[in-house]
Amino acid sequence: MESSLKQKLFVCLLKGVVQADFVFFDPKPDDFHGVKILLQTYLDDTQWDLSGFVDLILAQTTVGTVVKIEGDDDDTPFAIVTALNLGRYKDHKCIKELKEFLLKVCQEKDVIRDLRLLMGEQAHDVGLLVSQRVVNLPPQLLPPLHDALFDEVSWATEDEPTAELRNSFRFKCYLLVSKIYKHKNANQKNNRNLIRRSGSDGGDGIVYIKPEDENFHKLSLWSFSFPMHTQQVETQEANYCLMGFVMAVETAKISTFRQQLQSLVVES
Amino acid sequence: MATRLMFENSCEVGVFSKLTNAYCLVAIGGSESFYSTFEAELADVFPVVKTSIGGTRIIGRLCAGNKNGLLLPHTTTDQELQHLRNSLPDQVVVQRIEERLSALGNCIACNDHVALTHTDLDRETEEMIADVLGVEVFRQTIAGNILVGSYCSFSNRGGLVHPHTSIEDLDELSTLLQVPLVAGTVNRGSEVIAAGLTVNDWTAFCGSDTTATELSVIESVFKLREAQPSALVDEMRKSLIDSYV
Repeated sequence: MESSLKQKLFVCLLKGVVQADFVFFDPKPDDFHGVKILLQTYLDDTQWDLSGFVDLILAQTTVGTVVKIEGDDDDTPFAIVTALNLGRYKDHKCIKELKEFLLKVCQEKDVIRDLRLLMGEQAHDVGLLVSQRVVNLPPQLLPPLHDALFDEVSWATEDEPTAELRNSFRFKCYLLVSKIYKHKNANQKNNRNLIRRSGSDGGDGIVYIKPEDENFHKLSLWSFSFPMHTQQVETQEANYCLMGFVMAVETAKISTFRQQLQSLVVES
Repeated sequence: MATRLMFENSCEVGVFSKLTNAYCLVAIGGSESFYSTFEAELADVFPVVKTSIGGTRIIGRLCAGNKNGLLLPHTTTDQELQHLRNSLPDQVVVQRIEERLSALGNCIACNDHVALTHTDLDRETEEMIADVLGVEVFRQTIAGNILVGSYCSFSNRGGLVHPHTSIEDLDELSTLLQVPLVAGTVNRGSEVIAAGLTVNDWTAFCGSDTTATELSVIESVFKLREAQPSALVDEMRKSLIDSYV
């Protein structure tokens, strides 16, 4: 089932106006290279079965969206979003390695117990929400992109051919692995007076690379951050460092999230 | 025999290494397994040298070389130049050249006898290539691409070129290079041959996404398999079966 949701967009550059029509597609095997590039630093610089992970994502055509530009000869994916049931795919090497990685990097004792539970006993109720995009993807695409994902998940609970598959999309909770910039002094309370922070970080010392992560964070059950080895492009703020960020968000909170996302984009 | 490996999480092994018949260069900073895979194959024969070029790890794309010499871009630092001169065999002439197109690995493809170059290369650079590498130089394009160093990879025994190369171009290039050529891909359909693969006369290293079919094409065109029939079947079997369940 191919949904072609078109978003006409005018992007003003210094010299002129570029019109781009973004189109949403179901994942296809041909998207392998593009999606692999988008997920290159998903688990920091760990050597893991990334190819297997991409194959898994592309094989799940009922839930998952790849964003491309209409008429682009290169057919490059600009964004990928999907939800993978951790229980359904638990025997795949990539999922095992992903679970190992998350347990290894989680430094917070209170959270690690919940994490282990979520990825172990409760795995069949948990969806790994994978969302990666190019840095400059227009934010206007975010509400329809997330609507597409959550709608597909609910359609799958009705349309999938077997009861087992239908149930595999009845997620109780979503697990997200993302990245943020954290102020280096964010955890040091005594330095509060000495820090000159720009207004852009919202006061908690975190800059969210993906704007919707802030909404997810506020609605999350728990979250933790971990240091990363890969450093992204030089940022203006030398006091911030790139960190991995993992959150668990209950399905019950998703409708609130979708409403918040609509207003987030209207404001910006 | 072709080996599949990864540099960190990248399958572009031809970016982070340079293999010739006399030496092998490997980028610093990959995991030790990258370096040791090369060592396991090559250490008995010649040095495997860890280096950077201009402080970067993309050494395979910045330098061009064969058994006679190694050409380095102007961005190479003095320490890197000295390190390479010290580490490589004496008969290999290491030369830093002033060429505007500094990604020499993308602009030059060569074996021990012939080189194909980017059409806009300086006259002086062309002469340097002929002198230092001891080759005959031809300015060419591959399937309409001027970055000949990226879209083809050839040894003294065979070569692999961009999949969209026409039959006529393939024949012309084959005559020029005097080796059999095949149009194909590496790393599961990637057209950038030289980024995904590095090869010499008896061994090749390619990215771990390379399919069994691609691997058998590589082993066949570069003549990497042993000549005896039983060894041939064994080699074929290894490259056709990905995993035992």
